[in-house]
Amino acid sequence: MVRYVLKRIGYMIITFFVIVTLTFIAMKLLPGTPFKTQSRLSPEQLAQLRHYYGLDQPIPVQYVQYLWHALHGDLGGSFQYGMRPITTMLAEKFPVSLDLGLEAIILGAIIGILLGIVAGIKRGTFIDYGSMIISVLGISIPSFIFAVFLQYYFAVKNQWLPVAEWNGGISYHILPVVALSVAVIANVARFMRTEMVEVLGQDYIITAKAKGISSTAVVFKHAVRNAMIPVITILGPLTAAIITGSLVIENIFAIPGIGNQFVESILTNDYPMIMGTTELYAALFIITVFIVDILYVIIDPRIRLTGGDA
Amino acid sequence: MDNILELKDLHVSFDTFSGEVQAVRGVNLELKKGETLAIVGESGSGKSVTSKTIMGLIPKPPGKIKNGEILFEGKDLLKFSNKEMQRVRGKEISMIFQDPMTALNPTMKVGKQIMEGLIKHQNMSKSDAKKRAIELLELVGIPNPDARVDQYPHEFSGGMRQRVVIAIALACNPKVLIADEPTTALDVTIQAQILDLMKDLQDKTGTAIVLITHDLGVVANLAQKVAVMYGGKVVETGTVDEIFYNPKHPYTWGLLSSMPKLHDHSNKLLAIPGSPPDLSDPPKGCPFAARCPHAMKVCVDHMPGYFELSETQKSACWLVDERAPKVNPPETIGVRGE
Amino acid sequence: MMKMPNNDITNDMFLPADIDTTQSEKISRQSLSFWKDARKRLAKNKGAMISLVIIIFIVIISLIGPHMNNYGAYKQNLHLVNLPAKIPVLEKISFLPFNGTEHGVDIYEQRHIKQNFWFGTDDLGRDLWTRTWKGTQISLLIAVIAALADLVIGVAYGGISAYYGKHVDNVMQRIVEVLSGIPNLVLIILLILVLQPGLLTITIAIVSTGWISMSRIVRGQMLRLKSEEYVYASQTLGASNSRIIFKHLVPNTSGQIIINTMFSVPSAIFFEAFLSFIGLGIRDPQASLGSLINRAYGVFQIHPSQVLFPSIVICLLLICFNILGDGLRDAFDPKLRK
Repeated sequence: MVRYVLKRIGYMIITFFVIVTLTFIAMKLLPGTPFKTQSRLSPEQLAQLRHYYGLDQPIPVQYVQYLWHALHGDLGGSFQYGMRPITTMLAEKFPVSLDLGLEAIILGAIIGILLGIVAGIKRGTFIDYGSMIISVLGISIPSFIFAVFLQYYFAVKNQWLPVAEWNGGISYHILPVVALSVAVIANVARFMRTEMVEVLGQDYIITAKAKGISSTAVVFKHAVRNAMIPVITILGPLTAAIITGSLVIENIFAIPGIGNQFVESILTNDYPMIMGTTELYAALFIITVFIVDILYVIIDPRIRLTGGDA
Repeated sequence: MDNILELKDLHVSFDTFSGEVQAVRGVNLELKKGETLAIVGESGSGKSVTSKTIMGLIPKPPGKIKNGEILFEGKDLLKFSNKEMQRVRGKEISMIFQDPMTALNPTMKVGKQIMEGLIKHQNMSKSDAKKRAIELLELVGIPNPDARVDQYPHEFSGGMRQRVVIAIALACNPKVLIADEPTTALDVTIQAQILDLMKDLQDKTGTAIVLITHDLGVVANLAQKVAVMYGGKVVETGTVDEIFYNPKHPYTWGLLSSMPKLHDHSNKLLAIPGSPPDLSDPPKGCPFAARCPHAMKVCVDHMPGYFELSETQKSACWLVDERAPKVNPPETIGVRGE
Repeated sequence: MMKMPNNDITNDMFLPADIDTTQSEKISRQSLSFWKDARKRLAKNKGAMISLVIIIFIVIISLIGPHMNNYGAYKQNLHLVNLPAKIPVLEKISFLPFNGTEHGVDIYEQRHIKQNFWFGTDDLGRDLWTRTWKGTQISLLIAVIAALADLVIGVAYGGISAYYGKHVDNVMQRIVEVLSGIPNLVLIILLILVLQPGLLTITIAIVSTGWISMSRIVRGQMLRLKSEEYVYASQTLGASNSRIIFKHLVPNTSGQIIINTMFSVPSAIFFEAFLSFIGLGIRDPQASLGSLINRAYGVFQIHPSQVLFPSIVICLLLICFNILGDGLRDAFDPKLRK
């Protein structure tokens, strides 16, 4: 177990290092080097910036310096916001995005698992077909299109919910969270159904039935638990999907989160901000995948880790 | 009659894409208290379906019970509601499965899997149930049961898992135990241990056993009565002695011939040529006619009734009819016990 | 004593019957080749067939649509900006959005416009019918190229990795492991920033992450097959390498490859639309479905109908490709063969 965790941490560090390096290279390759063409900056700021990044020095030195700064949590300053430290800005905006993301994952997972269980048990009935149609739609329709139509119907046309403003209240959460969770519901429901069907066909389900315990107990104590374990594995991809979704959803609903900020920085060529956000997203994704892998090992008693190969 | 379990004219079929498969076509069986009845036959003969039907574990749909009665202590189990059946399963009749590697829930401690039935049927508290689970593990010969009770199935070997499966089945002292090929998936040395265990437990508990198998060696070891199934029907029944020493049905002859024998030096394994009938379109006459070396015209279109050869032995074969030519069983069936 | 069960049985029926025992060995089910079988099963899948028809329909209309009027995709006309959709005949059907009205006002009448714009016009007065289908062409083009590139790179990478094995495999797999740790989004956005948005860039960016899953599938399948018992069996029976490749490897991997390619099409369509929506996609005046939605979203609160048509087309495409992919997966999965 320890070796496995260490190995995974090793990969995590390597992956993150690769990402930081890639962003650095990307930055170097950016057309017209950002520091030359930023008309928004005063000459003093430009000089400060050049000095800060040591642009007069050879690239390898710049790279090491960049790594050194990043390692100390210093990601530079935003061009767009007068060199405000990126780290501060991210720290400010991250909680909003995290909130929405977690709400969407939790809501989506609960509904998705329930739908999947019901569909799996009632295989071949209209309930099954119904929930699978929902899940195909949820998987297929991009969240931003879904969001646009939610916004039109609930906010613009009927004005039941706020359109595109934000004060953090619950009613402001509803539409973005629903829009974000659609993909989660769809993916979890489909995965859960497949697992349920598979598990319900296992011999140990017959053993459980043969004991004479009630069908509800068979389903919940034996089938659901076993079916849910693999569902944990799609948490990683789902986090990626939520991050992707949040870029557009936050934009559509004018939510002051990281996704919105990221899109803005892309459109305004705020390179340090792009880099910082990229690295944050990468870290988020990598850590989620890591936690999922470890969780899986802990939850499934069958996986016994002996040695490095797991 | 002190039959604890009696099957009367049981018909079970399954709806599949290629039509209705009649897996069990009119099976009659009787089981007395404390007795062991072996059901033998090759794959697809309907023996497993029969056993699952007794337990009420046939998924419906696609399965359906078209006809017949399953009398347990005189009451027809087929008329029981789902709730009533739950009270029978595990408590009155329980079951051991073929593959111990898949028959246990991989994510539940074995102790808990044993306790479930106890808590449900005997209203035991959790701690009492756990004590009983430990006793049961000890009873089925698992060393160090205090520690083992908190382990997961993957921490047990195949033979040990089968002992756990037996412990689960025996937890509530059932009156009937159905063992569906309990040793098929095990190593030969382990097979003997499990058989000994079952024999031993039967002596202690007096449980009646329905033993489903295709291994005649197992039958000789454990059973008092044998029912030979073929093509969804029981083609011959009798005591172990009758089936082994005086079989009348050519299929039984084939089964006995195909059993390897210790003192046979011909080095030849005898197989029954052909394969079992397609039960989605079962033959009108005797299901074995197509593979029977002694088949007569009558066999093709007319299903023979049971010829009672003795108090206990019945055979569904036209050869027993007095009009039929006299056919002697092949020598290859090997008279046992010499 | 023996019982006579039947009376309509005559003596002459007790003569040996002429039964060909080999008859029962015949396999009743006609054997189908892998491809035929898959095709047959796909054809039975109603959802998949309907999806295929819709996709073909969209492809055809995206090719001929832009030529069905003379407005052109890029011609701006400030007199004709932001018109709602109007289609003759269909305008009579009140629940369809084709009557040229917006918020209850007939814009065409109000602004004295004689022409009909079937999907309306955008904020520069460009015909949205033409642009929607042009955009569909671009989106489909990107998706198909990306899917094919995934296929080629993925198969090559996975194949080489599995074929050479050992150190080559080790190194190649470590690279994949690190790459797959990077979220797609990050890689794609970085690439587009560096290369500047455009048709080719988007395609490259989508391919940069898409091939990984394909390579894993190909490698996994090949490694699995290399150790599969039926491949050993086939080798033991003296099958040549080419026979093994064409009879075992190709049918068993090509299904997976086709399925994966089928699923990478909608994922590429999605990423293109997504990138265009956040402003990293196709640049105006060129149109893709995503960029159309993005542009329409700018005037969404005043003219909500502009978002509708590109959204419907993209949703239809994604849904149909996903259902078709599911259908293919079911059709190709040999495990489900019944």
